[in-house]
Amino acid sequence: MKIQEIREMIKLVDQSSIEEFTYENEGTKVKMKKKGGQVQPAAAPAEAAAPAEKPAAPAEKPAAAPAQPAPAPAVEKPAEKPAPSADSSLHEITSPMVGTFYQAPSPEEAAFVQVGDKVSKESVVCIVEAMKLFNEIEAETEGEIAEILVKDGQLVEYGQPLFLVKTT
Amino acid sequence: MNITITDQLARRLIEAGGEAVSGQQFADEFGISRTAVWKHIRELQSRGYDIHSVKKKGYILSGVPDSLKPEVIQPGLDTRYIGRRIDYHETVVSTQIIAHQLAQEGAPGGTAVLAESQSAGRGRLARPWDSAFGKGIWMSVILRPDVPPQKAPQFTLVTAVAVVRAIEETTGLRPEIKWPNDILLNGRKCTGILTELQADMDRIHALIIGIGLNVNQERGDFAEEVQGIASSLRIGKGEAVSRQDLIRSIFRHLERYTELYISQGFTPLKSLWEGYSVTLGKRIRASSPREVLEGLAMGITPDGVLELKTDDGKIHQIYSADIELASD
Repeated sequence: MKIQEIREMIKLVDQSSIEEFTYENEGTKVKMKKKGGQVQPAAAPAEAAAPAEKPAAPAEKPAAAPAQPAPAPAVEKPAEKPAPSADSSLHEITSPMVGTFYQAPSPEEAAFVQVGDKVSKESVVCIVEAMKLFNEIEAETEGEIAEILVKDGQLVEYGQPLFLVKTT
Repeated sequence: MNITITDQLARRLIEAGGEAVSGQQFADEFGISRTAVWKHIRELQSRGYDIHSVKKKGYILSGVPDSLKPEVIQPGLDTRYIGRRIDYHETVVSTQIIAHQLAQEGAPGGTAVLAESQSAGRGRLARPWDSAFGKGIWMSVILRPDVPPQKAPQFTLVTAVAVVRAIEETTGLRPEIKWPNDILLNGRKCTGILTELQADMDRIHALIIGIGLNVNQERGDFAEEVQGIASSLRIGKGEAVSRQDLIRSIFRHLERYTELYISQGFTPLKSLWEGYSVTLGKRIRASSPREVLEGLAMGITPDGVLELKTDDGKIHQIYSADIELASD
């Protein structure tokens, strides 16, 4: 299950009048409980021996709720120990201008990054070109490339998401 | 021997504009002995400066070496910031690489990196650019315009206009621009411009404008495979061209048109660019890794994007492609 799907779910639950919500699919179980008008999302692999329920930090600004979810009484462990995937949030790398997206410095060379590659803030992830102006886009965050959202040679718009980075 | 004093002395002689400067005057200005002055003069003569001494008057400069050193370029340069700082090298891998480093270290806008030759000059998509020793202008200029990154691509067209005007002013030749910014003489390329951007979403940190200009090559200086498509100002004019005059003129025009673009937007530059265009109104082929489009080059948008009309009547906006005339 993808993080953005969980994020989407949180949004929907948040906007609804549902108090409690459980979703189970292919060995993954997501449980959310609202407390005092706030969403308390928790995601855990169903097969995990110990229940690893803990609040996942919302990846983006939630609609109205404050950014820090107070630990719900239902949560058994405090959030210090991070669960490998559920605790990460996704960062979007967007294009600062209209232009052509290139995954590699030249057609003969390997791509700057691939899904699963670790990146640091200064890592160059792609080039956007317009009228022979080349803009090397940096990750601007630390983490792992989760998804490449555009194709090599594609025209991208200003502000269009290019990559999703799972931040660590 | 102190190189810096030698350079300063050269600069002082150039600024004297052919008037004599006495050994005593130099000695006083630089706080050294007249014998030391004479040693510096000898050093300059060995570097190609044409200096002779006139009894009871002093040293007179009647010729400077064909070099791009700052002490030769900067006297007579009337810009406010472009070329005020020059980072000169005999041979580099690529001036772009050095300019990138300097920009990251905080070099001021207007800093220019100049080299007599590049071992790996490069063009679009890492294509090699031949940069023969002392024959051309191989340089990178750092600009730090206070405009959002979306306004950055137009600087490549602005630069083309500046370089064309400088070539006109210095040589009297009438070059043309192929979209977006190749400069042609009689249909053959004499200048390539490649610009790189350091920016985040909201702000340009630095624009690194790379300019490769063939000045004094003769036909035989070009590799065989590019002889049919490459040219130089010397080939166009039939005689050698001063790289020093040309660089000063490029700096001056680049500063003027950069300021014009920042203060009034792209519209006035668009008209200038159109006046030099060899692309518009022609049948062209635009090749990119994804597709090849053939049709009529209708014009450029208010942002400088090329509009191409294919035979089915559809208008395509071209942001990046290799352009050739369809008859080629």
